Amino acid sequence: MRHMLRQLLQSGRFLIGFGIFASILLTVLIYPLFINDPPLEIVSRGTFLAPGIYVNVYDSMNFSTHYTLILDDAVAQRVGARLNDEDRLAMQEWLLAAGVLEGEINIEDTAALIELWNSNFDPSVRVPGMTNADRNYYIRLTDSLEGLLATEGAIVAVPNQTTGVLEETGVINQSDYVNIGEVPNFRVLPLGTDNFGRDVLTELVSATGTSLTIGFVAGAVATAIGLLLGLVSGYVGGFVDDIIVFITNLFTVIPSFVLLILISFSIGQEQRGAFTIAVVIGLTSWVWTARAVRAQVISLRNRDHVNLSKLSGHSIAYILAMDILPYIASYVVMALILQISSGILAEAGLSILGLGPRTTEVPTLGLMMNWSMIYQAHILGKWWAYFPVILVIALISFSMNLMNTGLDRVFNPTLRG
Amino acid sequence: MKLNRFTFLVLLLIAILALAVSPLIAQDTTLPRNETLYFNGQQWGAVVGWNPYSSSNNNALAISQQDNARVIMFETPYLYNMLDGQVYPLLADGPYSWNDARTELTFHIKPAAHWSDGTPVTAEDVAYTWATHITYSTPTGTGNIDYIENIVAIDESTVTIYAKLNDAGAAVNPLIVQAYVSTNYVIQKAWTQTLEERAGGDATALLADTAEDVVWSGPYHRYFADDSKVIYVRDDSYWGQDASMWGRLPVPRYLAHNIFQDNAAGTTALQAGEVDVSQQFNSNVQDLWLVQGLPISTYLPEAPYGIGASLPTAFYNLESYGLDNVAVRRAIAIAVDYPTIIANAMTNQSATFEQVPRSLMNPTAGEQALYDHAAVADLQWVGNDIEGANALLDEAGIVDTDGDGWRELDGVKLSYVATCPNGWSDWQAAIEVVAAAGAEIGIEITSNFPEWSVYQTVVTASDAPLPEGYDIFMMWSDGAGPTQPWSRIRKLLSSEFVDMASNWNGNWGGYSNPEADALIQAIPTETDPARLTEMYTELVRIYLTDIPSFTLMYRPQSFHTVNESVWTNFPFDGDGTNPPVPPLDLTDGWGIAGLYNLELVNP
Repeated sequence: MRHMLRQLLQSGRFLIGFGIFASILLTVLIYPLFINDPPLEIVSRGTFLAPGIYVNVYDSMNFSTHYTLILDDAVAQRVGARLNDEDRLAMQEWLLAAGVLEGEINIEDTAALIELWNSNFDPSVRVPGMTNADRNYYIRLTDSLEGLLATEGAIVAVPNQTTGVLEETGVINQSDYVNIGEVPNFRVLPLGTDNFGRDVLTELVSATGTSLTIGFVAGAVATAIGLLLGLVSGYVGGFVDDIIVFITNLFTVIPSFVLLILISFSIGQEQRGAFTIAVVIGLTSWVWTARAVRAQVISLRNRDHVNLSKLSGHSIAYILAMDILPYIASYVVMALILQISSGILAEAGLSILGLGPRTTEVPTLGLMMNWSMIYQAHILGKWWAYFPVILVIALISFSMNLMNTGLDRVFNPTLRG
Repeated sequence: MKLNRFTFLVLLLIAILALAVSPLIAQDTTLPRNETLYFNGQQWGAVVGWNPYSSSNNNALAISQQDNARVIMFETPYLYNMLDGQVYPLLADGPYSWNDARTELTFHIKPAAHWSDGTPVTAEDVAYTWATHITYSTPTGTGNIDYIENIVAIDESTVTIYAKLNDAGAAVNPLIVQAYVSTNYVIQKAWTQTLEERAGGDATALLADTAEDVVWSGPYHRYFADDSKVIYVRDDSYWGQDASMWGRLPVPRYLAHNIFQDNAAGTTALQAGEVDVSQQFNSNVQDLWLVQGLPISTYLPEAPYGIGASLPTAFYNLESYGLDNVAVRRAIAIAVDYPTIIANAMTNQSATFEQVPRSLMNPTAGEQALYDHAAVADLQWVGNDIEGANALLDEAGIVDTDGDGWRELDGVKLSYVATCPNGWSDWQAAIEVVAAAGAEIGIEITSNFPEWSVYQTVVTASDAPLPEGYDIFMMWSDGAGPTQPWSRIRKLLSSEFVDMASNWNGNWGGYSNPEADALIQAIPTETDPARLTEMYTELVRIYLTDIPSFTLMYRPQSFHTVNESVWTNFPFDGDGTNPPVPPLDLTDGWGIAGLYNLELVNP
């Protein structure tokens, strides 16, 4: 045993795979200790908020926390963000079409350009070739130019409780800054929010946990069934073997994913909890384990030590457990790892089809993919809603497959170098 | 058999020849882009037929007899305009007129109106269409037979519709009679007779006929249809170019609809400029122009982007424990976070309840003017009123007595299931928000999403109590149309649907209020505007007081997003058209007027 472990620790593949897997598992376990927001809580009104730090605007108006920074490029950046080169060219295009002479337009001089624009632009003028989308763009642009070059600050006013008259409470100057650390309310959304307005990172960690659980349960169920049938079939042989092989063959020819879809559909969404889905996945994916175990057992059952055990009057269960299982244990562990990984993939596949666990109770990786697709995150370029999910699924299966090949190198004599 | 070299060469040659010739044999369906207007979101799956009597043609663009009837191929006497609530003559000549007793409605057919075979459209065609609907019990026939006695051709061009009368000698429902003329197609008598002959008098055969030989009066007809697309081509001899109607032909020569696999494929095509007019829910539609900079726009430039017409509604099962208590119903309804439903489930493509306070009316100006806003202002809620809801429940004595965090009514914990069909994404997201409100006010609400096949069977069986799991459930309500808002109100409040075995109308929660029933019955025959306002206001008051159901959001009649890569001058708010062209994808009701205004971006 110790020898094997030493060998495993020398296998680079196993170590990398184990490292990735362990870090995912640790994240799932440790993250909730620090950030214990409910994973399904709707935090944003509005969908697919981009990743970033969201600072409460109201709180940041607290004048006692304002600091003055003198930064030379602040004005240029402020103007550039609202009026970029493309906007300037578009303004030039409109002005030319409206009959302004080219010599009068200087798109580099912001003040002159805005003045020329404000004195000429009229949204009701129909310029040839201008679409309604263009018109909407110019109207938005005109709105955003409002006060762009102002140098005075913005006045904050609050309506008087009794009279309703606005009363000035202070001025926000253009050189005012706040220190995020001093604003009582801000929320870091490292992966933004999804279509429901949920925090994607928190949801992702929780979903990874659920999906791993589904994988473990599905893998355990599949391996247990496969192992039991394989052992019995291979060792007992004869009529029992025929029956089990018949059933196994039957399941082999029906594509297991089709079976999975049919079963998931027929149990209905009311009953489809994450655990049920895991069991269903397990029940449909034991076939290859059973076949492989049976083949191994057949080659083992006439070994001398097995015959000796038989002669000693041990029961079948004892022989299977003590004399055969240890020889195939390494194989079973490898099969289990693959089953876990394919169980996670199967849940994702089912959920993308809308046949996964019910939406509301727990997040799973597949459900996150499903909803981001329904709300067209992939078309609208909201990568944070689906790409991290794909990455986690890929890392889990990658790490498990690495561990598996690592184990294979150690346990499989033909590969042992 | 072993192939020798010669056989192989011959086979190869045949294969190459076949490949070379096949494009010549197949009909050329490559359309000139600047003569074609492309749609999405309307046609799913292949077109089945062209039979205007049938409702199972799966031919969405050509055949759709509804409040805003699609009139590209078959035409109605009048066109309904959801923006101003008026009807405008199409096949008809001038406005229709009622007799003084409002029992007979008369209109004339335009002298210019012609069928595609050159024969004139006559009053007899209108009368025979109705007779056929009745003889063969078509959906149109069975839907109107309780309200229309007969439709008769008085002379070559004059049609009179006789309303069915009640015991008092008044029309049962003049509203439905006058809606008939903008909802239902006029179909040619001669062709109908051919069809009858072919069907041999059998109603099933008549409705199942695919009608490849149909005669039409509209500006477009079949050009090509298979399981990948459907194309309609303009009829350049269309009668409507006569000065008495449009005075010109519609601009695009072809209307085409590729059959997309799903919404995502349709949106991708819209982004690529392969679709001009999109009738799809595109989530976060503003990103298409704000982020992606595409020449795409909607009817309104800012949220809600379109004109809301229908009111997706959460119904209470009034037989569920505790939901017969109005305090519980009101508490849940006022606690729901509607702004989140609108912002997240609808991605802001709905007016908010601050913008359009809740009533029974949709957000169109015509309907909003029908009730006295000030009189019900103190009943209208905007949601998120957790404090108010808790106070209301405390006051009603519905409190948490056993300390488990959930309120009890007479010792029984209040626990409900909120539900809508699985896969109806915006509804599901809305139901999630409703369920979340429960936890805030101490009423347990969980969500559940059965398959549509199960859901619809359960919800529409109003003759039996709703089973467990259907305490709060979502269904639709009527959109915009010539009988609105009366018809929507009827379907939300009228007790006539309680105990109906197959109830596709409304009031699925089983609400019954004689006062509301009386008002609903009286409105169709009322003509005094002041009295009508009074009655509608009273109905809104009843609805907001009793809360048998509550609106979750506003939804447009059709989503209307256009890409102006090729075509421009689509309808938009303030486009200067008079009467205003509604954002209904240029095919529905008065919306078809938009087809005559289109221009090429690069002529």
